[in-house]
Order: sequence, then C-alpha cells, then structure tokens
Amino acid sequence: MQPLTMQPINHQPPAITSSMDLAQVDPQWAWEPWQASEQEPWNESRLRLLLRRGGFGGEPKSIAALKDLPYTAAIEALIGSDAKREQERFEEDSAQLLAAVRAGGNIQRLAAWWVHRMIHSPSPLIEKMTLFWHGHFATGADKVIDTELMAQQNQVLRKHAIGDYRQLVHEVAKDPAMLLYLDSASNRKAHPNENFARELMELFCLGEGNYSEKDVQELARCFTGWEIRRKSFRFNSYQHDSGAKTLFGIEGIESGEAAIDQVLAHRAMPMFMAKKLFRFFLCDEPEPSQELLAPLAQKWVESDHQVEPVVRMILSSRLMLSGWSIGKKIRSPVELAIEWVRALDISTNLDRLSKGLGAVGQSLFHPPNVKGWDAGRAWINSSTLIGRANLLVDLLQDANTRFAGGELNAWVKSQQITTAESLATMLEDSLLAISLSDSERSQWLEQSTQGNRFKEMLLWLSQNPKLHLT
Amino acid sequence: MMYRRSFTKTALGSSMGVAIGSAVPAGWLQTVSANLAQQESALQTSAEQGSAGGDQDRVLVVIQLSGGNDGLNTVVPYRDERYRKARPELGISESEVIKLDDAMGLHPAMRPVEHLLESQRWSIVQGVGYPSPNRSHFESMDIWHTCHSKKDRSNSGWLGRWIADQKSVDLNDSLAVHLGAETLPLACQERGVQVPSLASLEQMRLRSKVAATMSSESSSQNANGGLLDFVSTSTQAAVQVSQRLENVLASPDSSGDFPGSGLGEKLRVVSRLILAGVRTRVYYVSLDGFDTHANQPQAHAGLLRQWAEALGAFTKRMQSAGQQDRVLVVTFSEFGRRVAENASHGTDHGAAAPMFLAGPKLPKLLHGAPPDLSSLDDGDLKFEIDFRSVYASVLESWLGTSSLKSLDGDYRAAGNALGLFS
Repeated sequence: MQPLTMQPINHQPPAITSSMDLAQVDPQWAWEPWQASEQEPWNESRLRLLLRRGGFGGEPKSIAALKDLPYTAAIEALIGSDAKREQERFEEDSAQLLAAVRAGGNIQRLAAWWVHRMIHSPSPLIEKMTLFWHGHFATGADKVIDTELMAQQNQVLRKHAIGDYRQLVHEVAKDPAMLLYLDSASNRKAHPNENFARELMELFCLGEGNYSEKDVQELARCFTGWEIRRKSFRFNSYQHDSGAKTLFGIEGIESGEAAIDQVLAHRAMPMFMAKKLFRFFLCDEPEPSQELLAPLAQKWVESDHQVEPVVRMILSSRLMLSGWSIGKKIRSPVELAIEWVRALDISTNLDRLSKGLGAVGQSLFHPPNVKGWDAGRAWINSSTLIGRANLLVDLLQDANTRFAGGELNAWVKSQQITTAESLATMLEDSLLAISLSDSERSQWLEQSTQGNRFKEMLLWLSQNPKLHLT
Repeated sequence: MMYRRSFTKTALGSSMGVAIGSAVPAGWLQTVSANLAQQESALQTSAEQGSAGGDQDRVLVVIQLSGGNDGLNTVVPYRDERYRKARPELGISESEVIKLDDAMGLHPAMRPVEHLLESQRWSIVQGVGYPSPNRSHFESMDIWHTCHSKKDRSNSGWLGRWIADQKSVDLNDSLAVHLGAETLPLACQERGVQVPSLASLEQMRLRSKVAATMSSESSSQNANGGLLDFVSTSTQAAVQVSQRLENVLASPDSSGDFPGSGLGEKLRVVSRLILAGVRTRVYYVSLDGFDTHANQPQAHAGLLRQWAEALGAFTKRMQSAGQQDRVLVVTFSEFGRRVAENASHGTDHGAAAPMFLAGPKLPKLLHGAPPDLSSLDDGDLKFEIDFRSVYASVLESWLGTSSLKSLDGDYRAAGNALGLFS
C-alpha cells in the first residue's frame, strides 16, 4: 500500500483501512475534521462509534433520534449541551440521590450513584471525562476513608471535565481527598514529604524523565504546610518552608501555587496530555509517534490548556471516524457494563452492578494505585474474562433487572423484533464494534434455541471475545 | 538435562504447548480429570522421594511488596548510631528487634517467621538494587520486572521470557500463575505467552451453562498479534483455566490454616494448587501498601505482620505436607526508602533494600554487607548486589533452568558467587 505520507498536498480521503499501521498515518490528514463523502457516508455505525468513544454507547431511543440528523448535530449533541431542560431535570434527580448517599457515607453507594449518572446523564461525555480524570488523578477511598471527600473530589473532576486544565490541577492540588491520598496534608517544613510533588510531575503533568530528583525535593518544599481543616484546604504558614526554591533551573519560586504554574508551563506538558487523551479515546496500541501527537499538543497550547478543543479535535477527526479506530480499544469494565445496560434499556440493582465492576478490575473510587488503571490489554486476563461474562450474566439474571421496565421478551417485541435473526442483527449493531463471522453467527443462532431463546442469545453474546473490543 | 515424568506422554500427546493460550488440543477438556489423577499419583511418588525428584519438580513463589518496603526498618542495623540519628521517631530499638546477629535484627512484627530462622530455612540478601536507581514506583518496578533499564525498555518480563524459553516441557498447566485481582505483572508478560491471573478460585467459575461457546472462533484466523487475536486467545486460555480449576475445586481443600488477610488468602490458594498436583512452577503474588510516606510505624508493622503471618502459615503447610524442600519463596520490593525519616512520621522513596528467601534448607542467613549508612547516595543506601544476580541464581540453581534469555544477559557468575543455595 502506498504510504499516506506520499499523498499529494491536496489530501484526498485515502482508502484507509483498520489494518493500516499507525506509523504510516499522515498527522495532517489524521487530525483534519472528518467529513461525510460517498465512500465514507455518515451512518449509524459511525454514530455508534462516536457515542461509544465519547460516552457510553446509545440507548435505542437516542440512536433513533440522532441517526437521521447530520453529523455536526451528533457532535454537538455529544460535546455541546443542547438538552438544557433534560439536563436540569436529571441534575435535580442526581443531586437528591447524592444527598442521600452523602448522609449515609457508604462509598459503595457513591459508586452506584456515579454508575447511575453514567447510564442516564444527558451529557455522557462529561461523565466519560470525569472517569478519565479519576484515573488520571487517581485517588483511592481506602486511604482517604471519607466518602464525603471522595464525593467532593468527584464533583471537582466533573466541574472541569472538559474545562480549564490549569484550573483543574490547582483545585486538585488543594482537594482534601488528594491531600490525604498523597500525604500533602502531613507535608511539613522540617522534613518535606515528597509524595504529591513527585506524582504531580510524573503522573499528572510531565511524565518520568522530565524532571530531576532535585526538582522533586524542591517542589515538595513548595507544598509544605498545605493542610486540611474541617474537610477543606488550609494553608499553615508555620509548617510552610518559605525559603526560595529552584525548579527546572528557575530560581525564586516560593509558593505551591507558583510551583504548579511552573510545572504547567513545562514544555513537556502538552505532549504528555495529548498522548494520554489519544490513548483514552482513539486506540490502545501502538504508541503514537511524537509527529502524530504534535497537532494535538499544538491545539492544547493554542487553546491555553482548555480540554474541550482537544477532545473535540480527537472525536471529530478523520483518524477517529474514517473507520481506522474501530476495534482498536479494549472496553473497560465500566464501558462494557454501562453500554450493555444502555443498549438493552436495563434498569437494575446499581449497588450490585458497581460492586461487580470491582470484581473485574475497575472499582470506582478504588483505582489500583496512584497511576490509575493501565487500560488496554491490562484489562484482560483469565479472571477478568470469566468475571466479565459472569457480570453480564448476573445482570441478566438479577431479580431486579427490567428491560424498559418490563420483561426481556416484551422489550424485544417493543423494538419491533420478532425473530432471532433480527435480534441478532440488532445486538450486533448495538454491542459489537467488529461483526461476527458467518460461522459465529450461525453458531449463535443454532445454539440459542432452548428455553427463552432471546435470553439464551444474550448469554451467548456475553461470552464472545469480540464483545471486549470497541 | 531434561527431567520428564512418564505421565507427560498421555492421551494429551505433545499438543499442549507451554503457553496455555496457544491452540486448544481437541478433547483437552475430557482428558483433564484422568490426567489430574495421574498427576496426583505422580506427585505422591515425587513427594515420597523427597526433593530427589530433581529441579523440574521445584516451585518458586514470588512475593512482591509493592510501594517500596522500608528495608532499614525490616532488617534493622540496631547498633548503628547513624541509624538512630536518621530515624529518631521511626527507629526500631535493640530491645524490640528479633536479633539475627550482633548488628542486625528483624522488625518485631516478623515473629511469625521465627521458625524459619530456627530451622535454617530463611535467608536475607542485603543491599540489593541496580545501577542509577530510579525513584519512581512504576519505573523502578518495571526495571525489576523487565531486567531492563529505562533507556532500553522492554515490554516483556523476566518470567514471561523464562516461560517462552521452556519449549521442551510438556505440561498441561501453565508454567506460571498470578494470584490477585490486580493487572498481570509485567514480570509475567511476553508476546505469545498467557499467564493466567486468578483473583480467586471461586471467581473462575463460569456462571452460565453456555460455557462451550466462550471461545467460538479459532484464534488462528485472527493471529496477527492485534487486539482481536489477543482477546480470542485470552478467552480460550480463560476457559481452559476455569475448567482445570473446577477439578481443583472438586478435590478436598487441604490447604490448612491460613490468616484471613489478602496475602494469606492468596498463599492459601497457592498451597491448594500445589497440593492438588497442579504442575505450575512459578506463582506470583503481591502485597501492596508499602509506600509509607506518612504515619509509617503502625502501617509498616501491620504490613510486615501480614507478610510474615502468611509466609509462616504457607511454609508450615508445605512442611506438614512434606513439600518444604521443593518450594522456595522469594520476596522483593521495587526500592527501599530514604535513610532519613520525613516530618510526617514516614519515609520517602529510596534505593537499595534487602530481598528474602524462604522454604528449603538454605546455607546462610545473611548475604552481602550490612547497610553502610556512612556512604550514602543523595540520602539513599547504595546497592551492593544486583537483583539480576539473585534472579540468575534462582533460575539456574533452584529451578534448574537457563537464566540467559530470561534476564537478557549473563548474571550467572555473580549469581553463583552469592552462594544462595547449597
């Protein structure tokens, strides 16, 4: 195949296939906004891809509402906040639920509350990005041991989900749950505690190799005296080392705030975030080249640390929507379960569902460590594969589970589906990024003939390897 | 040298590869029960013969202490004035330690392994590390897992490469198994090698009767190393492991008394698998929480106690089953901690630290020089022994296999010089 970089300046949409090597992709081509054409029409499969990557898939009713609208309207529905009235009503409900959770103080219920948001929010991208930030600024409830503080942090992440990254870092640095998790709250001037300082550079902003051990020690001094009082940030000047510090060779830095600004101004920052967002939205592997990431990093700089323009650039790119990205990511447990729930209009016991997520490696509010979830192939092993199938089976068989409020067979009927063949097509469209082979499909239909046939078909699907790809 | 048992030539033929995720031989599931019975009798025979069964019989259990275990407060230089000065709040005093000699002592929480000290089944390798220490948890852990420095990073781990190197072994069990709900450690990864991760035995039960469909499509159709290939082969492996464990679960639980802690539960499962005749040679478990930047004394004591109690119970169970001479437990952490404590009653990331060996008779209690607190590198202990030489010795002298591919280098001379095994 002719490498893309050999294309003339006038970038004709090349016949890109999902098997194309990422190294062959021309960066300029990749990040131009995708446009519908005769070869690449705007259709339901592209809409579903967009909703999977930018959110948690679509319920039958939102797919029906969006599929005949132009592409730009779908993008706006995902990224913009069109549905104001719907949003307000949802937020009222969610706030009431949260108040009850906060009063109870049970972290598992907080996780269930978040799962409820992921299923029902009219702005799924915000929930998706909140999940991204939870993995990015990973904070574990086991160490924080305060559901209220975890809830507060979750709100901070949501508030800035696609907003100003600089603002987000400043707020997270003073967020009580983070102060506890990375020991800032006990960072005193006599012997500074380096935990938060190191991770701020290594995991939150720059990546390992872009700072020295000396920078870690100096940065830790900047954060001395950052404490918690009555569940809020408090600056204790008695414990603060007010001497001058030197960071990245820049002298005369004093406060923690000034130090954060220096970290954010570091030249490695935009590329670090571009890479992380690329992997979150586009593909698990291989690693993108610096050249491919450069336009994203450039966008980050141009928009002055605003997240939304970069996310929009990724979601609406040719690389995303041409078809190349299909099947290039492994579904996280949250994606697997929430998309399954949404596609089948399921309502169920959310406590049980959120607990089930933990059994397959993604317990909300309990990331494995400060680096968050590794994602990609790391989601998959013998236990999680059996566990994923069990999670979906449990969901189907839970006594509380309803399909649009009723029984499975009634729901199937309400979707104008009468045969196993048409149900197979519907499930394949809504849950699989990569279609089944003919032999798989005929096996599916042959094996699911006993008892409740529709349920048997779902049980079969719950164990198919392709279900793990998105 | 290739030790083989007669049962490896069974109905299975030689089709079952080492990597459990490779092609599934027809009829594999049917042969499991019969094969398990044969293995059990083979195990009894080898148990009767003691360790005379040869290197191929030996098992390695790796315990990873994640977060950076404070080596100085685990193996304490209790008479060293500089230690006292650096650790005014956190220091462990002479009256508290379990004395190893007139300079070094164990943290008092380590009492549950005292029986190993008494029976000469415990060794400490002091001052273990590697050149240009990295103080990032993740980078340093990667170095321990891959045996590569950050500059020539690798996507495969030492045990993953070791498995890939064991081509001529016919076993129907995976050569290595990871116990735990966390991600498969990089140490066990290698392209084409599937090491099962078991969160628990119960969790490996498929709760649906349509199990046979789980791996519906032959992976050879997708064998391009991509994600689809990966999820397909992983699914096949998962189904096989699930079926194999059904048999283990069906056998009576002879694991014995274990503490109810996370690590205790993992080692209980390891003991159950070993005693059920599973032929896995390497088990990998970890205990997290050693990143004690603040309020260290209680947290560290609790973690050491959990480790020592689980290890104590495990070695006792191996002993009562007559398996104590074929199971070695090696414990490591990605780094030690700063010599000087910080102001939050904790310690920050450091460098060199001890490793621990337990199980069979071991010739020497303490290897390497005690920590030299008069010669620090930016506040950290300097390493004396490269961890790869310890790995080399374990792979060569304990498991009886080559260490060259596993370690991507020749550490045999340094490993031999350590004299870890008799």
